[in-house]
Amino acid sequence: MPGFDPALELQRGSSISTVSYIDEPGQHDENPRPAVQMENTYQLGPVKRFPVLTVNNILKDVLTSYLQEEKYEAELCRQMTKTISEVIKARVKELMIPRYKLIVLIGIGQLSEQNNLRIASRCLWDPSSDTFASYAFKNSSLFAVANVYAVYFE
Amino acid sequence: MDDFQTAEETTFVVDEVSSIIKESVDAAIGGSTYQHSRVNQWSSSVVENCLGQLTKLGKPFKYIVTCIIMQKNGAGLQTATSCFWDNTTDGSCTVRWENKSMYCIVSVFGLAI
Repeated sequence: MPGFDPALELQRGSSISTVSYIDEPGQHDENPRPAVQMENTYQLGPVKRFPVLTVNNILKDVLTSYLQEEKYEAELCRQMTKTISEVIKARVKELMIPRYKLIVLIGIGQLSEQNNLRIASRCLWDPSSDTFASYAFKNSSLFAVANVYAVYFE
Repeated sequence: MDDFQTAEETTFVVDEVSSIIKESVDAAIGGSTYQHSRVNQWSSSVVENCLGQLTKLGKPFKYIVTCIIMQKNGAGLQTATSCFWDNTTDGSCTVRWENKSMYCIVSVFGLAI
């Protein structure tokens, strides 16, 4: 179970900011691996490109199958976001695209008459080899957004 | 290939990044009240500020910066991220910021090249 560490809480006038990051317990402590020496492969770019459309379909499948009939409830959706992100990560890994690192971001929110929300992202990477896939799902009481970023590892 | 960089320069330093994020958010939307017409511009400026500051660090990293701005309305939002990367060199930092009228969640992911 990942631990949750709120590292800092600052109060400055009328705004509050919290810093949090989740660390998998034990990853850094047990058996520190000796630094791996990688040999040159003389490979300039990705051999197999990241299939954006396939991943878009995966996102659509997973979100629709998990959330089609659900209503927004805080506890259920908390579990659901974690589960969905793990499922999507596993399915994209199954595609076995070599040398790509993955980041999966899921947001599930409640729909209310006045709910206004904007999600934006910018990336600093190499556009010829790195890319992203995204899907947004909506039903009568909730909406869900899934983003997968794939970054080529040289 | 010889590696000239020390360990500090090739791992993701959470504290440094989190203070950069907080400054960028404060600078972009510090005292403002939620306005639907300006959200677009705000989120772009938060993200661009962050990215600009991160590049000034000069580290060999690729960055992904995500920003979610939500009006305070009683509605709930859950987010989760799951990442497949190298734990020793890559990292992420999420900062949750709020003022009287809105929430802003900024996540920065840094991946070593």
